[in-house]
Amino acid sequence: MYKNKKAEIAGIVITIVILILIVIFSNTDSEISFLDNAASKLVMPVQNGLTYLKNKISGNSTFFTDINNLKQENEELSKRNSELEQSLRELESIKSENETLKEYLGLTEKYGEYSTVPAYIINKDISNYSKTVVINVGSDDGIKENMTVIADQGLVGHVISVTSDTAKVRTIIDTSSSVSCLLSTTDESIVCKGTLEEESALKAMYIPDDDGIIQGDSVETSGLGGIYPKGIHVGSIKRVVNTQNATDRYAIVETAVDFDKLDTVLVITNQ
Amino acid sequence: MKKFIMNIFIILAAFIIYFLQANFFNWFTISGIMPSLFVIFILFIGLFSNRITGVVYGVVIGGILDLVIGTQIGINAVGLGIIGFLAATFDKNFSKDSRATIMFMVLGATFIYEIIVYILNYIVFSTNIEIINFVRILAIEIIYNLILVIILYPLMQKFGYAIENEYKGNKILTRYF
Repeated sequence: MYKNKKAEIAGIVITIVILILIVIFSNTDSEISFLDNAASKLVMPVQNGLTYLKNKISGNSTFFTDINNLKQENEELSKRNSELEQSLRELESIKSENETLKEYLGLTEKYGEYSTVPAYIINKDISNYSKTVVINVGSDDGIKENMTVIADQGLVGHVISVTSDTAKVRTIIDTSSSVSCLLSTTDESIVCKGTLEEESALKAMYIPDDDGIIQGDSVETSGLGGIYPKGIHVGSIKRVVNTQNATDRYAIVETAVDFDKLDTVLVITNQ
Repeated sequence: MKKFIMNIFIILAAFIIYFLQANFFNWFTISGIMPSLFVIFILFIGLFSNRITGVVYGVVIGGILDLVIGTQIGINAVGLGIIGFLAATFDKNFSKDSRATIMFMVLGATFIYEIIVYILNYIVFSTNIEIINFVRILAIEIIYNLILVIILYPLMQKFGYAIENEYKGNKILTRYF
């Protein structure tokens, strides 16, 4: 019985370790560099020690430096180090505050023609298939349904429901979202839909048959559809996927906004 | 009275699960895919209590999720309500004393729940059908749920039998054999 209990605990611990490893490896962009890093962490201390020894044996003169001087110097440096660390902490705090303020300022300047309300994302969808977010402004702040939500880099989505102090936003990467867009170089009209294929990507449907679409082309809202105003940056063409049937051809649009890191947005209130 | 306290515990557990799902499992993902803790939770309530309790908790919790973060009221409520209903059926036909059986039930429940929610989303919002991507996400989600069941099984069993004693008492058939 005891043995069984022990085996069960060991099994659970092993499963937790495996889960942590799966999560780390599955979310690391370059597994090879991660392995490289781990290997170098293992090998480098030994390598450093061996190099140090080699230098000593070959008569490195710094080995014979006066120990008392070194001790004194070390104390001074430690003191200086703690002072610098203190300043660094203060600077970090100022830097973070400055970044938030700059982000707000940048957003307001870029979309100066619109009157906007800044907001923070306070909640994200708990499902793997839909991408809605909740922001910390609501009807008390003048937010209404169907208002456009943007970020510094471009379009985020639109408001679908409002309470007195929160609003639910359907992002453009949600699979039920559909945005009418224009290709900036050719002014060709396309429709960008949310897809499960990639995070922070859209599927551009009804793309032109000819060579009117090129990789890297900028995509903007067309103003059609009645929700999004014209000219808001959506993203850029990442690749064109050719199918047997020419009408089924589609392109993947990489969104300008990185939805994984998105935390500050602006709601356009006068569109 | 004891049943009332048990229900308070279940509601508290639901809150904890919500915050875990919304804050921790939002970044502790496998390839960006989260597990579905509420499917495990409702399955577990339905298994250890009775059909009505499972369905009621499924519909209420699903409804609250629809209100708080969902886009259409009813989608999660229907999905989780069906899981509560299925759990009681699983209970009648399978033993809960084996980890492997519970894992099979979680596999089936996650599969059924996600398919129901996906079909309802398709009907309501006319989303694109993306079978391959859907299956990829579903497979990872099922694996993640199964790993969590392996880890949480002792806790689930302990809490589950406490619920079962309250709800079923002397109706637990295995006690007579």
